[in-house]
Amino acid sequence: MSDIHLKKLTKSYGGHLAVAGINLHIAEGEFFSLLGPSGCGKSTTLRMIAGFVQPTSGEIIIGADDVTSLPPEKRDIGIVFQNYAIFPHMNVADNIAFGLKLRKRPRDEIRRRVTDALRQVGLSGYEERYQRELSGGEQQRVALARVLVTEPRILLLDEPLSALDKSLREEMKYWIKDLQKKLGITTVYVTHDQDEALTMSDRIGVMQKAQVVQVGTPQEIYEAPKTLFVTTFIGHSNVMDVIVGSGSGSDMTVLIDGNPVPTRGPENLVPGQPVKLVVRPENVVIGPDQETPVRLPATVLSETYQGSLIRYRLSLGGQEIIAERQNQSGNERFNPGTPVTVGWDPGRSEALVA
Amino acid sequence: MQEETNIPFVFKAISLISLAILLVPVGVVVLAGLNAGDYLTFPPQGLSLRWIKAFLTSSMFLSAYGVSFVVALVSTLISTTIGTMAAIYLTRSRGPFVSFLRGFFMLPIVLPGVVLGLALYVFYVTSDLGLARTMTGLLIGHVIVTCPFVIATVTAALVGFDRSLEEAARSLGASPFTAFRLVTLKVISSAISAGAIFAFIVSFGQFEVTLFLSAPDLQTLPSAMYVSMRYKFEPTAAAAGIFAIALVVLSMVVTSRLVNLKRIFER
Ligand SMILES: Nc1ncnc2c1ncn2[C@@H]1O[C@H](COP(=O)(O)OP(=O)(O)OP(=O)(O)O)[C@@H](O)[C@H]1O
Ligand SMILES: [Mg+2]
Repeated sequence: MSDIHLKKLTKSYGGHLAVAGINLHIAEGEFFSLLGPSGCGKSTTLRMIAGFVQPTSGEIIIGADDVTSLPPEKRDIGIVFQNYAIFPHMNVADNIAFGLKLRKRPRDEIRRRVTDALRQVGLSGYEERYQRELSGGEQQRVALARVLVTEPRILLLDEPLSALDKSLREEMKYWIKDLQKKLGITTVYVTHDQDEALTMSDRIGVMQKAQVVQVGTPQEIYEAPKTLFVTTFIGHSNVMDVIVGSGSGSDMTVLIDGNPVPTRGPENLVPGQPVKLVVRPENVVIGPDQETPVRLPATVLSETYQGSLIRYRLSLGGQEIIAERQNQSGNERFNPGTPVTVGWDPGRSEALVA
Repeated sequence: MQEETNIPFVFKAISLISLAILLVPVGVVVLAGLNAGDYLTFPPQGLSLRWIKAFLTSSMFLSAYGVSFVVALVSTLISTTIGTMAAIYLTRSRGPFVSFLRGFFMLPIVLPGVVLGLALYVFYVTSDLGLARTMTGLLIGHVIVTCPFVIATVTAALVGFDRSLEEAARSLGASPFTAFRLVTLKVISSAISAGAIFAFIVSFGQFEVTLFLSAPDLQTLPSAMYVSMRYKFEPTAAAAGIFAIALVVLSMVVTSRLVNLKRIFER
């Protein structure tokens, strides 16, 4: 088990940058997700770590070894593909034994370790099955067992859940996370699904256009997004056009409809500069009884019932925002057209330069 | 796969009729070979093993049969090897000439056999390579003709081959060659066998190209049959046809024992 250093890692395809100089440190035993929209370079990054794509420039260090120019078979890395890549001409036992046979392990050791690996992924008794006799979830477990049985230094997963249906995806999410925790193996997980990244990761690297734009724990990424892209890509956000009232950094205000509103923001802002104010819908509270430092007049546009939540569309200073409210007994409901007071904790809002 | 009961009756009827029509020539040859009369006629004038015996005692037919068998076997081995390698190159290389090369390799299928035969003949006799009227020269002709069949079937399998299988093998510790041998080759093996069967059958029945490359002491079964039909209108040729059909059927059966034929045609 080892940590991973990516240093100025770059891949260009005929002048088109698929990965543009990524610097990352992934700690030993960490579950690290690369999260980003389609085409942002996640798979290319992962495939460079695995050794299937030769970087145009930059370095890949695993543990103490510079593996940048090593072929995949010398890297001691396990990778699970989106389609699982179970060898169709071998049964499950032979699939899992593949890496051990290449390592010339004695026969009885192979048999024992295959049995152990199958037990670990909950597929005891599946030895004789072929790929076509396995469901998607089972294939995934076999793919994981096949990789883990060789005890690689690093585990790479490229969108391993995207081929599964929703309920299985939920189940596998926790299962993979638990297995990773138990084994303590350094894991890089590629996904475009923010839910997966938020629930499974120790840290997330958000990628956009061939670059990593923010690295942080799920909480940091969700609650303190550094760019507008991160805010809108992860979860839902209200993005309001405002101008800077005074100050910058953690002690600043923006003007909404002429009212100064305290917020956090970046340094080096000048008063009057247009910025975006970002607030998550679940942090917008409605009602006259609220005690938030920010209090602004708004009008209810519509109310949508969503079971555990009630979602309000509101007009605030001419702009539309969304507020989500727990559907608890005792919580007042607001009809469309009602004038209300809205507010939020300034620590839960962020001014961002577009 | 669909359950057989779901296939409409019309389709079943049509395929049954087509199969019958396709099998008519086989029936004609078999019956003509079992003719009791002196000449090749259909319907036969009574049945006997007379011409079968004639075939089995005719040194010309027997040696032609042997030549055809050896030529088909050797050219199949060569074109299966070359064709598989060519298919791998054609599907994996990203060079600018690949699509041109692909067409080029398929040329022997579209080119009329007489043109190819004539070209080879002219080349053999005008060059000093000493290939004219030799086994080697004949084999080269047959490899050229059969190779495209192997290339076509193997290419089809490789296009559908999932490269991540090979990559999975690599990261599990296999060198490029080992990954190819243990995974790719195994997965496409049924297509290679199918290509080999095609090559064998095509070579065994090859006539036009062979016509230009064979010599009186180096005759294949099709050209021996042709010669025999031209000069003596005897049913021996039809009897030889029975043995040719038998060999092709036998080679299919043997191969299906070795590899799972069902899988070839399931693709
Ligand atoms: N072999 C290749 N040749 C040329 N361009 C490539 C190649 N592989 C990837 N690219 C390009 O590099 C960019 C990044 O691709 P990559 O596969 O890493 O995206 P991704 O983030 O994994 O997207 P997705 O979520 O759709 O899988 C894309 O613009 C893609 O078109
Ligand atoms: Mg991808």
